[in-house]
Amino acid sequence: MKKFGMKQKLSGLVSAACLLVVGLCVNNPVLAESVPWDETTKELGQTGELPAGRLSKRALQALSDTGKGLFSAQFTPADGAGRPNATQAIIPTKTKRPRQHTLLRTAGPDATACSSCHNQPVLGGASDFVTNVFVSEGFTQADFDSVDPQFSNERGSNHLMGSGLVELLAREMSRDLADIRAKALRTARATEQSVRLPLLTKAVSFGYITAHADGLIDLSEVDGVDADLTVRPFSQKGVMTSLRQFTVNAMNHHHGMQADERFGMAVTGTDDFDGDGYFNELSPGDISALVAWQATLEPPVVETPENSDWIAAAQRGKEAMGAYGCLECHRSTLPLDSLDFYDPGPLDVVGTLSINDVEEAAIYDLSLLHWAASLERNDSGQVLVPLFGDLKRHQMSDRQNNALANEQLSQRFVDRTRFMTAELWGVGSTAPYGHRNDFLTLKSIVLAHGGDAKAARNAFAEADEKAQLDVVAFLKTLVIAP
Amino acid sequence: MRFRTPSCASLCASVVTASLVWACSGSVLSNAYADNTKTLASLVVPRFVEEAGAAGIEHAYTGSWEFFVGGGGAAFDCNQDRMPDVFLAGGESPAQLFVNTSTPTGSLTFKAVDLGLSVRDVRSVVGAYALHLDSDPYLDLVVLRVGRNLLLKGDGQCGFTKANRRFDFNGGRDWTTGFSATWQTGANYPTLAFGNYIDNSAPGSPWGTCHDNLLVRSSNGDSSATPQYNATTLLSPGYCSLSLLFTDWNNTGETALRITNDRQYYRGGQEQLWRIPEDGKPPRLYGKSDGWKNLTIWGMGIAEADLDSDGYPEYALSSMGDNMLQQLDPEAEEDQPLYRDIAFEQGTTAHRPYEGDDSKPSTGWHTEFADFNNDARVDLFIAKGNVSSMSDFAAVDPDNLLLQHPDGGFVETGADARINLPTQGRGALVSDFNRDGQLDLMVINREAPVSVFRNLGVSETWGSRPMGNWLAIELKQNNANTQAIGARVVVKTGNLTQSRTVAIGGGHAGGANDFLHLGLGVAERATVRVRWPDGSWSHPYRVFANHHVVLARESESAVYWYPNQ
Repeated sequence: MKKFGMKQKLSGLVSAACLLVVGLCVNNPVLAESVPWDETTKELGQTGELPAGRLSKRALQALSDTGKGLFSAQFTPADGAGRPNATQAIIPTKTKRPRQHTLLRTAGPDATACSSCHNQPVLGGASDFVTNVFVSEGFTQADFDSVDPQFSNERGSNHLMGSGLVELLAREMSRDLADIRAKALRTARATEQSVRLPLLTKAVSFGYITAHADGLIDLSEVDGVDADLTVRPFSQKGVMTSLRQFTVNAMNHHHGMQADERFGMAVTGTDDFDGDGYFNELSPGDISALVAWQATLEPPVVETPENSDWIAAAQRGKEAMGAYGCLECHRSTLPLDSLDFYDPGPLDVVGTLSINDVEEAAIYDLSLLHWAASLERNDSGQVLVPLFGDLKRHQMSDRQNNALANEQLSQRFVDRTRFMTAELWGVGSTAPYGHRNDFLTLKSIVLAHGGDAKAARNAFAEADEKAQLDVVAFLKTLVIAP
Repeated sequence: MRFRTPSCASLCASVVTASLVWACSGSVLSNAYADNTKTLASLVVPRFVEEAGAAGIEHAYTGSWEFFVGGGGAAFDCNQDRMPDVFLAGGESPAQLFVNTSTPTGSLTFKAVDLGLSVRDVRSVVGAYALHLDSDPYLDLVVLRVGRNLLLKGDGQCGFTKANRRFDFNGGRDWTTGFSATWQTGANYPTLAFGNYIDNSAPGSPWGTCHDNLLVRSSNGDSSATPQYNATTLLSPGYCSLSLLFTDWNNTGETALRITNDRQYYRGGQEQLWRIPEDGKPPRLYGKSDGWKNLTIWGMGIAEADLDSDGYPEYALSSMGDNMLQQLDPEAEEDQPLYRDIAFEQGTTAHRPYEGDDSKPSTGWHTEFADFNNDARVDLFIAKGNVSSMSDFAAVDPDNLLLQHPDGGFVETGADARINLPTQGRGALVSDFNRDGQLDLMVINREAPVSVFRNLGVSETWGSRPMGNWLAIELKQNNANTQAIGARVVVKTGNLTQSRTVAIGGGHAGGANDFLHLGLGVAERATVRVRWPDGSWSHPYRVFANHHVVLARESESAVYWYPNQ
């Protein structure tokens, strides 16, 4: 058992005390010994201790299996599902009045299971328009019951395949950017002159940073990343730091399952913040299991079609994407130094368990996984992650091309028309497309691009139909393995 | 462990609480804080480690009767590195200046430097506050003394020169124990308020012989010229004040001066609130006809915070046994300073020591609101200590750390936080000395070494971990009042709004002039708006948690600052 502070100690005390009085509780049928047919999720609480250290292949598999069970489980009120007195907000927020519905399609909770949406073509995949979610901050007008865009941003469900690799890339990029900032500051202080450095990591440019001798920094030339230079790789906007943070958020938003590390006693002063009568709904161990399963999901692959014409078309399409400039943002690969996935991770802040909160973080060695051997490496030994993305936010619309400017709310300081470059791996398996999941063809989503992608979009638009179809042929090879 | 029904969960929780209370009954149930056990479990208590020796701070506040009070200091940046240095009053011992050499996020280290003042000037010092007295960009010091007060002009490299003559400041001969400063509308230089204690030379002293307090302005308002602090206004009657604070009590932006007074020595006195008109008219005391209620306490220190974010500050007043927490009475009519004491209902009476067998009343001195555990709820620190040998009051009287609870109210955690030393605390400096985002604490003790408490965060068996997210804010505006003294900073995270007022004064004989520190709890972003001293509101600044930011009035965005690693 690795340490997680007062919270767990208190749980231990409470557990012990509960044992003392269990005789007083036996009349309650819910407390009776668990039976196979009771309406609870068996995997909850199964990860009793927070994993620590480098996990063996077997231990990682076991943890992932538990996470898979949690991901697939249809949570019930007996698990603590529902949040009558809490909103979907990422900061614990009370509703103004108890909710009338356990499930609500708009403000949530809107699903009983993660797998209700993330299931195409496999568990952990994406989904169709019908499962779109409605993203609002959940502070004011948290109980909205309209899909009107003035209340929320409507978003499709992304697939999660290869997300462990994505988070590792983001961590390394964030580390690089922080190092550049530190170097600029050191040099500026040493020379007593302002220092301007390019924010370049993995050949992706995030603009420039200028450090002054007094320790102040000028961020006016920073592009595509937050002011704290943390690359947040998850969500359509690129505003979620980690799988762990996203999981904690999503479990509350979609299921009303509240994680102790965000909603527990140490933060809110109560073990039942959502007021559903169930305490300690998700332990840090439960969250770790969910993270482990997601982080170890096999990444999408480039499929070689059986049809030779398709092979040729896909090759031409890939080359054309390079020529059009698509691959400036949809980078075919990004190099990754290490496959050690630390959980809790290094970049989360209080509210999501981080590496600073535990004595020893767990290490999920992704190289142990069966799919790892198939990843290409470069001459430096770096893994080449074929994500077709750059983990950078871009302006996605302009006056002529504003189809993607269809949101009215900014999200977490990100303007409404700026989005993270969609990673194209798996795009061949995850129709429909776009952040609202409402572009039915690949061609239509390419033509919807604007803003930073205007030149590439125009090049594609000006190509003849056959050349456009070549691009589609290539994109269709980027699939999630069944 | 999950509980399947609320009824059983409640039962189990009750058993645990009962067990804890039973286990702690020997020490807890015997005092006023018996109910703490039920709430401590749900609080994040910071763990402090005392490291004055290792930090290189060797200093004590010493002296006979005239130095039973005082013992303050100033935390401020004297060398332009945005790390808080400290000036400490010494009473009969010399005052000292310590330059902060701490490694950011590491242990605290300071280096004593020569003030370059005469032996006479560095003695008899009671307290100090840092502020801009002239137009240069360097912080200066107002030094409170038994005898002539000093204005020290800073050179930006922790060098100071006595500037009484340069600034045409008399300094007086009084026993000065309190200070506050503000910039009135349009003024290029601050209005200074000096609080005086007992007139030792008056017949019958010390009883009933309180000095008047003073308001001092520069007669020269030209920002390009040297200020001349020779325009003095008596604030009479004085009732042996021990702390002053310019405050916007009625949320109008008008200047008022709150003074807490020591009933031990005045006759017919009370607490005071002065109107300080900006049109040059003489100051006027709020009286009974204005709604002001007579209150007599052993007033030692003042702190303000807008606990309920309604725009009207609450005031903590430290005293001997009867510490107050004043809230503007909801029934008060507009512009009526009618206050009710909410200390009991909020759990801030702190009227007896929270540990030990001494049930005599406590003696409170420096008091300050700050968020020590970064949970987005402001807490209350009170320095405690017997005056000297007053047998009617507790002899062993540890400092208080009253953490605000998620459900409201405050809970004593001084012992758990390990600041419960048997010292006679006086002044205190609350500042993040190592820029790790966690507020540290320096307590100036009478006849004992200064206590330097480094905030480690949450203590675990394997080390410590962070308590909550935070934000440190520096305001900046051009021309006069560059630090925007009097501004109100409003920070929004989710539905929570916190506010802080940038002020100089209060506490007991000193305080910090530093980044404003706010805990953000689990929020990783915040939106900040500033009501600048002239009353105009800024646009929203969007900032990320766990950073130091500079909000310049003319700037569209926050500018981030990083310590020298």
